[in-house]
Amino acid sequence: MKVPTSARRSAPPPEQICRLPVQPGELIERGQPLSFTWNGRAHTGYEGDTIASALAGSGVRIFSRSFKYHRPRGILTASGLDPGCTMQVGDEPNVRAAARRLADGMDVRPQNVWPSLRYDVGSANQLVGRFLTAGFYYKTFMKPQRLWPAYERILGGFAPGGRIPRTAEADYYDQRYAHPDVVVAGAGPAGLGAALAAAQAGARVILVEEEYELGGCLRWGDAAELALLDELRAAVDASPDIEVLVDSVVAGRYDDNWISILQRGLARVAERLIKARAKALVVAPGLIERPYVFAGNDLPGVMLGTAVRRLINLYAVRPGARAVVLSANPEGDAAVADLRRAGVEIAAVLDARRGEDVRRAVGGSGVKAVEVADGRRIECDLLVTSIGWTAPTSLLNMAGARPWYDPAAARFRPGDDLPEGVLAAGGLVGDGTVEELVAHGRAVGAAAAATAGFGAGRPPPALDVRTHPALFRASTHGMVDFTEDVSSQDILAAAAEGYDSSELVKRYTTATMGPTQGKLETVNTVAVLAEATGRRIDELGTTVWRPPYAPISLGALAGRTHEPVRHSPMQSWHEAHGAAPLIAGAWIRPDHYGDAQAEARHVREQVGIIDVTPLGKLDLRGPDVPKLLNLVYVNKWSKLEIGSVRYGVMCAEDGVVMDDGVTGRLGPERYLMSTTSSGAAAVWEHLEGWLQTEHPDWAVHIAPLTTYYASINVAGPHSRELLARITEGVDLSPDAFPYMRVRTGRIAGVDECLMWRIGFTGELSYELHVPASYGVHVWQALLERGADLGTAAFGVEAQRILRLEKGHLIVAQDTDGLTKPYEAGLGTLVKLDKDDLVGRPELVWQQQLGEQQRLVALQPEDGSIVPAEASQIVRGTAIVGRITSSRFSPTLDRSVCLGTVEVALAEPGSVVTVLLPDARRIRATVMPELAHVDPEGRRLRV
Amino acid sequence: MSEALPIARSPLRAAGPVETRSGWEVSALRSDAALRLADRTPMAKVLVRAPGGGQVAARLGVTNGSARRDEHGTLIVGSGPGDWLLLGAPGCAAELAARVEVEDDGLVSVLDYTHGRALMRLTGPAAAQTLAKLCPIDLSDRHTPDHTAFRSSVAQVATDVVRDDVDGTASYLLHCERSSGQHLFDALYDAGGEFGIEPDGFAEP
Repeated sequence: MKVPTSARRSAPPPEQICRLPVQPGELIERGQPLSFTWNGRAHTGYEGDTIASALAGSGVRIFSRSFKYHRPRGILTASGLDPGCTMQVGDEPNVRAAARRLADGMDVRPQNVWPSLRYDVGSANQLVGRFLTAGFYYKTFMKPQRLWPAYERILGGFAPGGRIPRTAEADYYDQRYAHPDVVVAGAGPAGLGAALAAAQAGARVILVEEEYELGGCLRWGDAAELALLDELRAAVDASPDIEVLVDSVVAGRYDDNWISILQRGLARVAERLIKARAKALVVAPGLIERPYVFAGNDLPGVMLGTAVRRLINLYAVRPGARAVVLSANPEGDAAVADLRRAGVEIAAVLDARRGEDVRRAVGGSGVKAVEVADGRRIECDLLVTSIGWTAPTSLLNMAGARPWYDPAAARFRPGDDLPEGVLAAGGLVGDGTVEELVAHGRAVGAAAAATAGFGAGRPPPALDVRTHPALFRASTHGMVDFTEDVSSQDILAAAAEGYDSSELVKRYTTATMGPTQGKLETVNTVAVLAEATGRRIDELGTTVWRPPYAPISLGALAGRTHEPVRHSPMQSWHEAHGAAPLIAGAWIRPDHYGDAQAEARHVREQVGIIDVTPLGKLDLRGPDVPKLLNLVYVNKWSKLEIGSVRYGVMCAEDGVVMDDGVTGRLGPERYLMSTTSSGAAAVWEHLEGWLQTEHPDWAVHIAPLTTYYASINVAGPHSRELLARITEGVDLSPDAFPYMRVRTGRIAGVDECLMWRIGFTGELSYELHVPASYGVHVWQALLERGADLGTAAFGVEAQRILRLEKGHLIVAQDTDGLTKPYEAGLGTLVKLDKDDLVGRPELVWQQQLGEQQRLVALQPEDGSIVPAEASQIVRGTAIVGRITSSRFSPTLDRSVCLGTVEVALAEPGSVVTVLLPDARRIRATVMPELAHVDPEGRRLRV
Repeated sequence: MSEALPIARSPLRAAGPVETRSGWEVSALRSDAALRLADRTPMAKVLVRAPGGGQVAARLGVTNGSARRDEHGTLIVGSGPGDWLLLGAPGCAAELAARVEVEDDGLVSVLDYTHGRALMRLTGPAAAQTLAKLCPIDLSDRHTPDHTAFRSSVAQVATDVVRDDVDGTASYLLHCERSSGQHLFDALYDAGGEFGIEPDGFAEP
């Protein structure tokens, strides 16, 4: 009978039947019990427990189901690499439960099981396992190709991993930059020694430890080792130059020691990505114990020697009741001693150094017996293996170094090809007592500090490497990659199919591609492949390790999103008056206030104001400004009078139009240049580039003033009357202030305002540039004092309609990356008789070549149709032009366009065919002028 | 009829109650939080450009990358090669400009930047840690001690940063073009949340 979840949750938590008495190095706080649920049932643990240790303390043995065959899995390594301990915690999937501290109230659940962890339907896959070998997907779902989308949907349902509920709240992730002299990756005995030595030499050090505490293997050592750990920790704590990051990991090493560190355990930040630029990196991760390949090696109850030592010494958990131990090294022997001390019955110790071996672990949901190579069958619930080590050289590989296989030590080791500023320390390099490892770390730390410029340092001494039996696979087959469910048989099958290199086998079988990224699996994979191909391990080599070293959440990679937005001083007014925002680069602009057509009509009939603050504005000062203007604009500037404004077009060196705008002369040696809104930064850079590289002798200063001024265009027949009401010190009469002039005066009480009489809209208009802090004041004054004149705000869309009616082009809208000035109707501006101008050789060539295309005004015969911008202009099937701008004109009550066409079609009166996006073809007539409205310019010159 | 000078407004939204100081609308908040972020936009800002080895340079007395406070309390910042920024009390831009006027020193330009720039001050023991979340420069005392000036990306905005400690407490003036000021302020405030940041009202310097 199924027990209701609520009843299970309210049932008393199971006793912690596997807890031991107090252990010397235990991390748990027995005075601080914690409550949590596992699979819906109440459990307890202690502060300092990991999720996995707390469950193990309660006697839980099955923690998860495997990826493909849904085989039951338990604790294997009792570390962050444990392939059997991936769980869902609340909203967070894929939590590494053997590395995650227990917290009160946690809701912990298994992943990838149905209907339950104990009775998982997916385990039926084991029955057809012989058909699901490596390469199964590639072969089975290749044909028919048209069914792949269906296959993909179905296969997606089998994807392992937890689930993020749609209601999950986003966590806070951020990043930080750091500039340590030395980063030490790993805080075991060597890492601690390295950090201390580097700091003592004067270097600033970041010490990074993946686990919650410093010490590495010292933590589960004997009394002397624990005392040494206390001493080292105290020294680190006392050093102000060592920043300690625990529950953190060096995730990657990039060029010039650009090092990414993932930091956890922060109060208000889920995870932080630290981008550190270090002068030296010390890699001191120690060694990783390697699993053994044999039948049943993934059963719950099969553990590594380091796993049982962690459980007993750090968490006071008895890992089993009756154990068989396969040991090939002193660490395995130490595990036997720990087990005995914990009261575990040792059924047998198999000494691999004497050739003893296991054949298989027997059991269903856990180990029940072990078959030994000599034929014995030993009843037990725990099989411990200590058969060898893997040197995690990943960070060294990321620095360009390649490990080499040492057959005597039966492990890969770092080579001597480390780049400058990258050093390896401790167990990664060789073997020794903890004192020797600390000493080695100290020597390497001093050398790292010397690399960073602190102290002399000396080459670190070599560490001995002890011989070790080469043990990879027993006489039976078992799991090689526990996270990907890849067995030694899969490797053999892949080799038989021709995948005979480490890299090919990896890709074909996915071995080493799981969350542990080969730290447990790579050497066994290579060893089995060597066995299958008859080649040596050193011939095959490892696959290449790349960042990240450990799993990183996407949130940490994303961090905070900093996308600058720019606002004009009048933004608050726009928002308060319902402006629809237009995102124009980084600027947020008012597109319209409800009805752009009405706004445009209003400007033609009365008066409107528009916020044009984003227009680029550059202050140019110095006696040589005219030289600069003559160089960068195609037209002439030597005779611009004070108080005058001139339109200019800028070309790049390839003779293509890059920007346009007006420049006014405000004083004898003072000019203000305006640019397009989008081109402001590029033009500034362009000008500075020419000044600094080609004409450093010219006396010109350029300063950007785009946001110094709030810019407001006042346009419409009543604009002069409106301005007269709020302007002091400027005679606005047509004779005193004619078209294309600039004046300085006081507007609405604000001094030093610039007024340009120019007209993008084709109406009598003035562009006001007001010190930005008074922008809102002047804007509101215009509206209030001009209320009886019908003054109203208009947005960018209305401005675009008005300028299109007037036939004014917009660079990058009506031009493109190939448009020459001659083709854009700007040829009359180009003066090739100047001393020099940017793009001159190209412009000369263009003039000789003649126009190929021309920008023209177009009006569709059916004035109700507005062709989409970028619609093709075609002749038959040939493309002969395109619509660059199009709008419905409220002034003409019809559609109007600008477009480029082949010169042969550009004569006024020509009729062209426009191909609309819906495949309709319409006819449009080429107009005599670019301006659809007031081509004579009478309205703006009043 | 001549109109009275209106109230100037900063690009940063004023936190809490506001008051008028020297013609500017400013926040009247007073915070004693360990980490504080305050709008200093009303400060007069004058950009000076002059030959690096000339009289103006000698009078200003700081080189690119450093800053000092003169006898008037003006912060003189060497903001670039041949570039200086003068920061003074609100409304004193003309006075600051007048102080650097010299003859026969080649091309010298003096520009009132007050209205074109946003200026804010981040103060507190955790100011460097906060800034380090947004700015890739080494902010340690060894590399950027008090009165260091540099230009860098801060929260993706080109920003002039001046370390200007206050009574021995780390403090940074951050200066960017006006239209991005609110973005920069918001980014700093977000970064400082971990350290209990609070907005502070206007004060000099």
